[in-house]
Amino acid sequence: MRARIHVRHLLFGLLAVLIAAAAPLLLSAAETGFAVVLDASQSQPRHVEETTMASVQRDYGHAWHSMAAAMEENKVALLGSDFVGLAKEQLSQAIAEQGKSGLKRRYIDHGHQVRVVFYSPDGSAMELQDTVRLEIQLLDGDKVVHSDQGTFHFLALMTPAENSWKVRLLESVSGF
Amino acid sequence: MRRFLLLLALACAASQWMAGASLRVPDRVQAGQELSIPTSGSGEATLYLFGPSHVAKRTVKLGAPVTLAGDELASAGRYVVVLNGESSAFFVTAGPVSTVAFIARPSRVPASTKDVVSGTVFLFDRNQNLVLSPEPVSFSLAVPGAPDVRSTQTSKGGVAWTRLDSSRRAGAAQFVASAGAASVRRVVQEVASEPCNIRMHAERAKDGAIALQTDPIRDCAGNPVPDGTIVTFTSVDENGRSTVDARIKRGIAQAELPASQQATISVAAGVVIGNEIRWGGKQ
Repeated sequence: MRARIHVRHLLFGLLAVLIAAAAPLLLSAAETGFAVVLDASQSQPRHVEETTMASVQRDYGHAWHSMAAAMEENKVALLGSDFVGLAKEQLSQAIAEQGKSGLKRRYIDHGHQVRVVFYSPDGSAMELQDTVRLEIQLLDGDKVVHSDQGTFHFLALMTPAENSWKVRLLESVSGF
Repeated sequence: MRRFLLLLALACAASQWMAGASLRVPDRVQAGQELSIPTSGSGEATLYLFGPSHVAKRTVKLGAPVTLAGDELASAGRYVVVLNGESSAFFVTAGPVSTVAFIARPSRVPASTKDVVSGTVFLFDRNQNLVLSPEPVSFSLAVPGAPDVRSTQTSKGGVAWTRLDSSRRAGAAQFVASAGAASVRRVVQEVASEPCNIRMHAERAKDGAIALQTDPIRDCAGNPVPDGTIVTFTSVDENGRSTVDARIKRGIAQAELPASQQATISVAAGVVIGNEIRWGGKQ
């Protein structure tokens, strides 16, 4: 009996150590966002500075990560501050309506190839063309009612805030 | 066993056919327009609609067309409609240009300067969708009493931009961007650029000090340099150097320098140097 209790304690201890070890990895994945390759070589009319590129790459990937989490869990709060304006309004509405109907959307993201096609002369807006490999599952409860897998095209409008870039518009388009 | 499997497959196919949920939707629909989806079969089925801002689940009667209202399709983007296990995707695209978001920079520019004013417009339809089709956008920059500066651009991805020269004349310039029936106006204050030349004269004040005053200070296009611009008067005599900064007020700058028997007095504003006066000797 005493030996069995010792084994149980040992197992709990081992589990606790594993969780503690995995926690930083999980956190870093959540903070990083999805993989984004950014090409600003054709940006017009303004050249994109290296630090700006790094910020946009980070913030756009993070925005997708937030959107995927919010859409799957039907929690508007998970959008965080990555989206503003129309993009935030649209996503919030979609999430609210999903929640009411017991529906969900799951994005399985396989990476983004993003081109900067416009960067305003004053640096206040940037337009991106995103070609993303994605699996989109539409669920009713836990039942998948539709699944799409392939390459999708998104057009995004981003604007700078104090220390990050925000997605102001995100639209799925048929192509570029 | 093989016969059983065949029968099962046929039964499945027949039930699917009887349910009759075949979906025919157009590839593209204009935002805000109603869409009717024909269905066949009988009985009821669940319809799902997943769009960028609208999501719906409802029971529909098969055999009658399913109508998606205009406000269900207000946002541009990809929609997926699922009915009785079958699905189709279609795109909702923006309607005609209804509003223009116009960013004009900067709000204050020197007159008669090349490519100094920039304007960027984003085109939206009445449902706030970015209008992605190419649209002509006209820009004009006008100061009263000077010819308009104009440019026409074609939008790409919902955006059009331009760079324009400022007018030769200073004043409040009306910067207008127009696309379709929409037009937006911004005001860009065009001010005189650097002074073209500065001319001053000096006279002895009652207390013996040197009173200095410039002529009206203008840029090379004849526009008065704005009040508040700093003008620096400098006097060099046997006691050393004295400097006074004065702001232009009503077009001229004035200052008093300490009394001196003989001095060399100069005037400058920014990088522009004016005339020099030899006080106590020849001017």
